[in-house]
Amino acid sequence: MSKVGSVAAWAFFSLCVIAVITLPVNLQTQLIVSVLIVTFMAVLKLVNAGGRWRLIALAFGTAVVLRYVYWRTTSTLPPLNQLENFIPGFLLYLAEMYSVMMLSLSLFVVAMPLPPRKASSISPGKFPKVDVFVPSYNEDAGLLANTLAAAKAMDYPADKLTVWLLDDGGTQQKRMSANLIEAQRASARHVELQALCDDLGVRYLTRERNEHAKAGNLNNGMLHSDGELIAVFDADHAPARDFLLETVGYFEQDPKLFLVQTPHFFLNPDPLERNLRTFEKMPSENEMFYGIIQRGLDKWNAAFFCGSAAVLRRKALEDADGFSGMSITEDCETALALHGRGWNSIYVDRPLIAGLQPATFASFIGQRSRWAQGMMQILLFRFPLFKGGLSIPQRLCYMSSTLFWLFPIPRTIFLFAPLFYLFFDLEIFTASGGEFLAYTLAYMLVNLMMQNYLYGSFRWPWISELYEFAQTVHLLPAVISVLLRPSRPTFKVTAKDESIQESRLSEIGRPFFVIFAVLFVALLITVYRVYTEPYKADVTLVVGGWNLLNLIMAGCLLGVVSERGERAASRRVKVSRRCEFGVAEQWYPATIEDVSAHGARVQVYGIDPTALPTDTEGAIRFEPYSGSGIPETLPVSIRNKEVAGDITVIGCRYLPQVARHHSLVADLIFANSRQWSEFQSARRGNPGLLRGTLWFLWLALYQTSRGLIYFLRSLRTSEAQKEGT
Amino acid sequence: MIRGILLAALLTVTTQAAAQPAPFDMSGERPADVPLRQRPAEAGGKSGLPAERPIAAKLPDDFKRFIIPFSALSLTGEVDERTWSVYLTPAQAQSSATLNFSYQNAIVVAPEASTLSVFVNGELAGEGPVGAAETAAQLSYDLKPGLLHAGTNDIRFRVRQRHRTDCTVESTYELWTEIAPDTAFIRFSSGESASLSSLDDVRAVGLDERGRTQFNLVVPGLQQPSRTAALMRLAQGLALRGQMPAQQFALSETMPELGKPGQITALVGTAEEVAPLIERLPDGASSGPVAMFVRDSKTKASVLVISGPDWSAVQEAIEGVTQPMDRPSNVPRDVIGTGRWLLPETPLVVSNARLRFSELGVETSEFTGRRFRARFSVAVPSDFYADAYGDATLLLDAAYTEAVLPGSHIDIYVNGNIASTIPLNSVTGDILRHLPINVTMRHFKPGPNLIEIEAVLLAEPDKACAPGTPAASDPRFALFDTSELRMPDFARIGRRPNLAAISGAGAPYRNDAAAVPLFLDRADEDTLSAAATFLGRLAVAGGRPILVEMITSPLAAGSRNALFVGAMPQLPKTVLTQVGIDSTRQMSWGNATDTGQRDETQRAIDEWRTRLSGGAWRNQLTGFQTWVKQEFDISLSSLRIMPEAQAEFAPPESASLVLAQGANPTDDATWTLLTAPTAKRLREGTSAIVDVTRWQQLAGRVSVYEPATDNIDVTPVAGFDFVQTQPPSLTNYRLILANWLSSNIMFYALLLIVLSVLLGLVTSSMLTRLGRRQ
Repeated sequence: MSKVGSVAAWAFFSLCVIAVITLPVNLQTQLIVSVLIVTFMAVLKLVNAGGRWRLIALAFGTAVVLRYVYWRTTSTLPPLNQLENFIPGFLLYLAEMYSVMMLSLSLFVVAMPLPPRKASSISPGKFPKVDVFVPSYNEDAGLLANTLAAAKAMDYPADKLTVWLLDDGGTQQKRMSANLIEAQRASARHVELQALCDDLGVRYLTRERNEHAKAGNLNNGMLHSDGELIAVFDADHAPARDFLLETVGYFEQDPKLFLVQTPHFFLNPDPLERNLRTFEKMPSENEMFYGIIQRGLDKWNAAFFCGSAAVLRRKALEDADGFSGMSITEDCETALALHGRGWNSIYVDRPLIAGLQPATFASFIGQRSRWAQGMMQILLFRFPLFKGGLSIPQRLCYMSSTLFWLFPIPRTIFLFAPLFYLFFDLEIFTASGGEFLAYTLAYMLVNLMMQNYLYGSFRWPWISELYEFAQTVHLLPAVISVLLRPSRPTFKVTAKDESIQESRLSEIGRPFFVIFAVLFVALLITVYRVYTEPYKADVTLVVGGWNLLNLIMAGCLLGVVSERGERAASRRVKVSRRCEFGVAEQWYPATIEDVSAHGARVQVYGIDPTALPTDTEGAIRFEPYSGSGIPETLPVSIRNKEVAGDITVIGCRYLPQVARHHSLVADLIFANSRQWSEFQSARRGNPGLLRGTLWFLWLALYQTSRGLIYFLRSLRTSEAQKEGT
Repeated sequence: MIRGILLAALLTVTTQAAAQPAPFDMSGERPADVPLRQRPAEAGGKSGLPAERPIAAKLPDDFKRFIIPFSALSLTGEVDERTWSVYLTPAQAQSSATLNFSYQNAIVVAPEASTLSVFVNGELAGEGPVGAAETAAQLSYDLKPGLLHAGTNDIRFRVRQRHRTDCTVESTYELWTEIAPDTAFIRFSSGESASLSSLDDVRAVGLDERGRTQFNLVVPGLQQPSRTAALMRLAQGLALRGQMPAQQFALSETMPELGKPGQITALVGTAEEVAPLIERLPDGASSGPVAMFVRDSKTKASVLVISGPDWSAVQEAIEGVTQPMDRPSNVPRDVIGTGRWLLPETPLVVSNARLRFSELGVETSEFTGRRFRARFSVAVPSDFYADAYGDATLLLDAAYTEAVLPGSHIDIYVNGNIASTIPLNSVTGDILRHLPINVTMRHFKPGPNLIEIEAVLLAEPDKACAPGTPAASDPRFALFDTSELRMPDFARIGRRPNLAAISGAGAPYRNDAAAVPLFLDRADEDTLSAAATFLGRLAVAGGRPILVEMITSPLAAGSRNALFVGAMPQLPKTVLTQVGIDSTRQMSWGNATDTGQRDETQRAIDEWRTRLSGGAWRNQLTGFQTWVKQEFDISLSSLRIMPEAQAEFAPPESASLVLAQGANPTDDATWTLLTAPTAKRLREGTSAIVDVTRWQQLAGRVSVYEPATDNIDVTPVAGFDFVQTQPPSLTNYRLILANWLSSNIMFYALLLIVLSVLLGLVTSSMLTRLGRRQ
């Protein structure tokens, strides 16, 4: 069967399904069909059917969703002449239809994600020249040193590899700033980083003016370099040694290839993971994107540039006049422009860099605001659906990626819709209890099951909703403002190196407590109305149940905005590496247990623990992967120790003195990308819908109480402060 | 017409009950200035008209016509009314007339707050308190000259009733007023008004004291088979002119007693045959076809003479009666003729339509009580097929005040079955503007459908129920005649068998252009009368006469829709087999020897069933089944994939008449059988079922009449064939499919599942061909 034939067959069967779905059959039929299909899907899930069965299960789900849409459209809207019901009712309807549209777009995107690619190899002697760009704005030298050292240490012929630090924090504009302190700081930074780069053998580059933010910085880098390929790493994204070997080969296979994107792997938890303590056991939020969605986009040649951890072709960038800077998400915009000019992209599903992500809720929200606003700008300026040069699947893929960021609007509507009934007695959704059971409940169940089917081991039940809800409160004004004034937002660099020293409430956490309080009042009203108005208890219970779901989410978010204090400055990575531990010129056999950006834990055999007071200086001697096979020494100081028989476990802190020491630290942390994959796959388990839901309920309950305790504590401290002043 | 005399107070009321003491002495609870009971005699006295009119004494030269088209007229609840029409000849309209009736009411009706009103042609003809709790009260209202006119006159009885002591909603069910049909008549002062002169006057045939109508066809040479078809045609012509709710035909060779109310006698035969039966032949009877009334000098009764020099001239005369009643079979009627028992005439809806309440006869009304009711009627065609999926929409314009407490509701009933409930939950009252209410079409059937709107209103004052104040209270609910019934486009396809189509619209026979084969087992008086009665009813239901051709063998029917009428023992076995009747009982039915046996067995089985249902698990299961059935109307049988095996129907001993339908042996036409154990019972049973209340119950594949309970017992259709009635159209097929799948749930589920699986497979194959693959 040809392509056209298979599309025609698909269209024919789709029409048949739609014809059957839009038959106005009665409620009884709908109920039986819902029960049967939900059962079928559950069985398919239980036996873990993949391949074709996966698509069959999705077709089942689609059938139920479409039945819901048909019914919702034809029978549930309030009458037009009751405007007070119709307007909120229609908004709710639009919000639901948006969700259904997003579901169908994501079904299209991830219907059949590409399996992991075969590794590509570079023909011997044909290594293209690569420029590595590390754009920086305000990151400190220590962080940059690790990244640059790791970049420099990548396996690649040294004469073909140039690493560039593109410093936007030391531009002439900044150094000449009218603000004296800022000017001083920029000048100092300029000098310090130049020295660091000289040490590491890295090119330092800055420019006159900070124009067009990151895109302008990268374009400036292009002006001063000439490599065939350009690899981009954020200042806090350190590559593994094999990064270029794993990615560069693809450019040889496809001359029209402009991008090889790899996933972003984070060593530290995001604020939700940290505050909910899920980092170690639950897949991270971005894994759904990098684990499934980018693979799905890749199938349609629509994997897009995510700003870092990618290799691009200079020729392609020049074809499009460099990186685009119209929106504040220059990465996706650049990819869209190049796809539109007929260039291809691929995605390699293997973490090859490790980085940091925002640690506080406020900076997390700042980062997401930038993404949301940037994607909205792309939607408004470059409307992908009608952009020339794109294939139809690419248009749909980009629509899916940009429209996703409208979620704060429907989320807000879902949050407040039940309150219209509970507080104001407005009936914005006309349905009987039986209809609700047969259509809405089936739809919700099927929706959850489809999500679980699609993203099961990458996203646990209710977590998507939690993340969206968490962002909604602050993203809603951001999205609306960009919709009103599309060119207003400007690029802001996300801070990622903050740490939380002590437990406290997030500075932007107040609205969540207000929402929680309002929803809680609504819950009380539900109970009150069930007893005082028994004649409409059924409707009240259904709406109250919906509100309760919102309340559970809101309660869980109280925990999210209650920031936990953390002792370790950065997250530890498990490694298991032979080394020698030296103290006072004496060397003992040892194993490195785990490492972080600042220190390591080492198991030492046969050492006398009593001779090791804190702050004793020592050294670790190990064979770097990037070296020539000769062991090298990294100076450390001892912070703490535990004794277990012959073995002493020593926690120590690096004392890097020369540039080579940064390379050694980078070698310890970033050299081996396999360990990151292992860490990720350890978290990837699908708890299933039922267990996941129960777990979530428990989590929400616990976090609600934690959030409330933090809240009370903050009240007390603010009172104490008042008394103090 | 007397225009000069203006009668301000029309009502002349005689009530014997006025002298009776009130059943409850409520004087202590009532303001002193309200008279115990309005004395109509005083009102009559003031108007200067004679207050008393002895009803029993029959004046020689007056004429009375019974007016109530029901076997009983009961007005119940707080508000109730019935409207229908009476056809008057010009002579009757000219005559001065009084409207007489007697009524009796429930003892709990409070007379001072209850009224019974009679309207004629929209004008109040008389009104009085409802106060005849112990014995029937007789009333007589003079009708204003000029009020009546020749042709159709509307009559409306309306009550407003109030409970003496109780203000609950439940108490309203205890309120009733009954009017006995044999006491309700219009008395015309002129005896001349009894005479009928033109063929149009057949419409004025009227009713007897039980609300029935009879046409006597006196046919010398009745038994000649060649005449039967023409007689059937005549019966239909007369039935269509009469349009009365219960019309029966009596065919005989001898003259019946003339001058009975609600009867018309027609003499049918050649001039030669007819001459001996009548004093004077109409002029021209011996030269050409004649159909005219002749006055019998002895009884003063008018006799319709249909005659001519030879039989073909008689046939021509018959066509003269029947032909004008014909109408094209393919053009749907806009209204179904129900006016003689229900006004306004029922509109027929064949596709999407919006009907305003004002057109449907529901007036804007304000209401102070607890249980408001309004009713109207809407007809759907015989090929209506939306009972499983369809929803009509009522766009309700209504209002209620803050006196109405939450928990009140409006219920919509279709043919007596609840179809929808809307809560009235606002505490501040509300104005509902075109509030859409879905009304399931589950209980709709071909022909007229009665839709009732009932508002159940709970109110704060009713809790206290202060005596004496109720009538003065402000209206708390209003229904506006701008409300609409919106009927959607619905699936239309005929089904075979489907007796409801016969009852509703005479289908499929009304649509046949060719003559309908009619098989009669014998041409005796009883069988012929039954056939004529049945065909007459069929013609009224279908709105047009059917052409009939007599056949003597079922084979002769070929592939035409055929009718079979006859006593069971004489019927051909093929007919019984085709309509699904157990032919082994052909001879034994009606002999009543083995009645007890079956009942005994059934009782034993039931007993064992209750004895075994003790298991807890079984109880749980049946409990769940009952719950599902209650909440969603789903039973195990609705999940059946194979159609239920259609058992042969064995007519029960208690039944006196069986109407059954099936396909002909070649499966391309409909056969309908009307049968009874004997010809006599056939005639009686047919007369019973043509009464509109019973006729409308006919449905399913077999309907039997049980004389003991006066009930129609319906055997539902198990398997049926579709009969195309509409030109092919995709939208209609889609709706037909929707209805079929809604009643065959598992097929819909299967269809959707199979299609989803196919779609999944096709998607998978498409996705492996599109985009990148590895």
